[in-house]
Amino acid sequence: MPIKMFKLYQGKMKTFIKYAFVILIGLSSKLYAQMPHDVIYMPKKTACLAVSYNNSSWKEYWENTLKRENLNIGTHTTQSVMPMIAYGITDKLNAIVALPYVSTKTSAGNLMGQKGIQDFSAWLKYQLVKNEKGFSLHSVLGASIPVGNYVPDFLPMSIGLQTKTATGRLIANYTHKSGIYVTAHGSYILRSKIKVDRDAYQADNRVYNTNEVSVPNATDAAIRLGYIKDGSRIQAEFFAENFTCVGGDNIRRNDMPFPTNNMTSTSIGFYGKYQPKNIGFNVRVAKVVNGINVGQATSFSVGLLYQLNPKIKK
Amino acid sequence: MKNIYKNILKAIIIAPLLGTWGAIVLSCDKTVTEPVKEAYIPTKLDENAGTWKTYILTSSSEVAVAAPKAATDAAYLQELDSLKNKIMPVLTPANKDAVAYWGAGAVYRWNEIARELAARYNLAPAANAEGKYPVPDAANPLADPKFPFANPPYTARMLAYLSVAQYDALVSTWNYKYMFNRKAPSKNDASVRPLLPVSDLPSYPSEDAVVAAASYTILVAMFPGEVPYLDTKLAEAKNARVWAGTNVPSDVTAGDALGKAVAAKIMAKAKVDGMSAANNQTLVAGQIEAAVARGIKNNWVSQETPARPPMLPNYGAVTNWNFDKATLAKIRPVMPYVVGSVEWQKDFEELEKINKSQTREQARIANYWADGAGSYTPPGHWSREAANLCHENKFSEVATARTMALVSTALMDAGIACWETKYYYYTPRPQQFGLKTSVGLPNFPSYTSGHSTFSAAAATVLGSIFPSKAADLNAKASEASNSRVYGLIHFRVDCEMGLAHGKKIGEYAIARGKADGSGY
Repeated sequence: MPIKMFKLYQGKMKTFIKYAFVILIGLSSKLYAQMPHDVIYMPKKTACLAVSYNNSSWKEYWENTLKRENLNIGTHTTQSVMPMIAYGITDKLNAIVALPYVSTKTSAGNLMGQKGIQDFSAWLKYQLVKNEKGFSLHSVLGASIPVGNYVPDFLPMSIGLQTKTATGRLIANYTHKSGIYVTAHGSYILRSKIKVDRDAYQADNRVYNTNEVSVPNATDAAIRLGYIKDGSRIQAEFFAENFTCVGGDNIRRNDMPFPTNNMTSTSIGFYGKYQPKNIGFNVRVAKVVNGINVGQATSFSVGLLYQLNPKIKK
Repeated sequence: MKNIYKNILKAIIIAPLLGTWGAIVLSCDKTVTEPVKEAYIPTKLDENAGTWKTYILTSSSEVAVAAPKAATDAAYLQELDSLKNKIMPVLTPANKDAVAYWGAGAVYRWNEIARELAARYNLAPAANAEGKYPVPDAANPLADPKFPFANPPYTARMLAYLSVAQYDALVSTWNYKYMFNRKAPSKNDASVRPLLPVSDLPSYPSEDAVVAAASYTILVAMFPGEVPYLDTKLAEAKNARVWAGTNVPSDVTAGDALGKAVAAKIMAKAKVDGMSAANNQTLVAGQIEAAVARGIKNNWVSQETPARPPMLPNYGAVTNWNFDKATLAKIRPVMPYVVGSVEWQKDFEELEKINKSQTREQARIANYWADGAGSYTPPGHWSREAANLCHENKFSEVATARTMALVSTALMDAGIACWETKYYYYTPRPQQFGLKTSVGLPNFPSYTSGHSTFSAAAATVLGSIFPSKAADLNAKASEASNSRVYGLIHFRVDCEMGLAHGKKIGEYAIARGKADGSGY
């Protein structure tokens, strides 16, 4: 690191500590904890740190279209802890970064649980249009890169697929002045090829004599109906989400999943946030209602939100 | 100045995001790169291969082949004319792709197809609603569960009969090739422009058609649900030789008949080798009793729910290739460490340590060699290794078939001898003592390790044929063996004794190879 940069960094750290202190004693202004799929923006030069715990488990899964249980898995559980930072580059352009730690386990059978740091993701969210009537349109670019050197094809125990991803997303929102809103988004997710430890594998009913595996691209879409109040101190919404692979093969009869699978799922759920001061929390519950080549997961997460707001000094 | 810093900070945040995003978008190509195998002129034609010792045929002339029409015969001249004026000028791009694909070698490609079928069928039956595991039914191969369950013993046997059929049929082919000495179309008529390199090997009967027909006959017997797929492959393999201008149709027709006739004799032997009794579950209680009497008090128990009957408990009684049953008993590994003994405790502690903190490198090795459900199995892994070595060394079809036959008979012998050992001692898996696995747990007794036995047998045979690769092959066999400890499904002693056992088994195949008249 060049000296100048280092000094700048030192300076920033001092400022950071000072601000953190101020925040801790409870002074506050605007609170804007936000996600890559909502239309909330951190004001310029403000940041929010969120740490969430997520727990997702399934007992039944879809082997291709056949819904079944597996007594040699019992209940499969994925847990993760994800620190996330959202930062207002400008009032209309926000950056969000996250890096989860993930672990998996089963309640029966003898498959070894896996754990580790998964993929670093980063998002840029930009407000394209906003009118007086409450309509707005937003574009999001996202990317993720695997950080941990985890095994991607020991499914369903693997903590991730090792793909690099690039996401393009469009979000449309209408918020009535009463606070009731509806948000819809659609995304296209490019997913890179991956490398596995073995040098031959079966997919699409043939053997590939290589360690390269083509992971299908995917789309995701969601619709949310909710209520937001007082900046975004209080937020509650119901949502329906869909994740669909663009192509891919199916789990064969009594086989394990593989990264080439066409994994598709539709979930419904609730999200709520309460952030009266700098410190707040959010909760999310969701259940997969339909799918192919995925577990019928029930998941919940709780997050602790922590606002870093340098503007408050003024 | 402050503004500059701000802008730098902004750039630091935004640039990598956009850059990464762009790089991922640009690099998002879904095509996976697989090795391309091209046609070659063999370094040796193996002119005397018609005299090499066959496995099941009593001689290379046991199946008769009629003499071809002379090169000056009107019928032959018409075949040549049709080849260059009617067939080759209208080839489609798909025809040319088929020519290039099959140009890699008939034995090479048919072994690859066999491995692919093994991978497609290597899935254990699911339990039914009553908690029972239905047995795959050869008469109804596409029902659930599909027939066969191409597990490692099944695949080893399938590959052995395939390679033996290819080899015996090619020895026979070489006999007739040099008996009749019909030259290749392009050597009889210079205006035939073949799409593949052509050696001085006589072209009647077509070695590619022989291998295609022999392989087809074995594979439809082994995978009865795949007849339509194999019909397509057989037709394409035979047509590709004519499309390439390397055979006239009468070469192919004679080869097809010879290949089918030889393979029918091989399958007749396969039908009486004892495989039909390999899954005799009524023997299991007696096997456990005998193991207990030998001093193994802790026995293997299926770790699946519901408990699955052990895989092919009587496979050890299937007929071997390169030694007899007395030898099988003589070379059987000695009794393993008894549970609770100091030596057993040491092996267990090694596993406990891996269970607690498996390294990424241990996981990589375990995964690379796992060859578990849905794969072409360890015999398939070594069959691929063998075929690639033959291709790299530009072996003739008959020398390739010989290598594949030596390796795959050694692999089947290894399977038989290892399975016999497993059910002789009936020892428990590490999972019966609370350990997990990162590769999936096989459903049969632990001692000795199948991977170790298969790998040492194949590596020993291949090391004898390719001496410059021997050290590398042995290192691979050791790694395959270690992989089962790293994957936590075998004790160290299972692997070490399996390796030593496999090496002995491989040496019997080498002895056969030395005496087959090939001079290799």
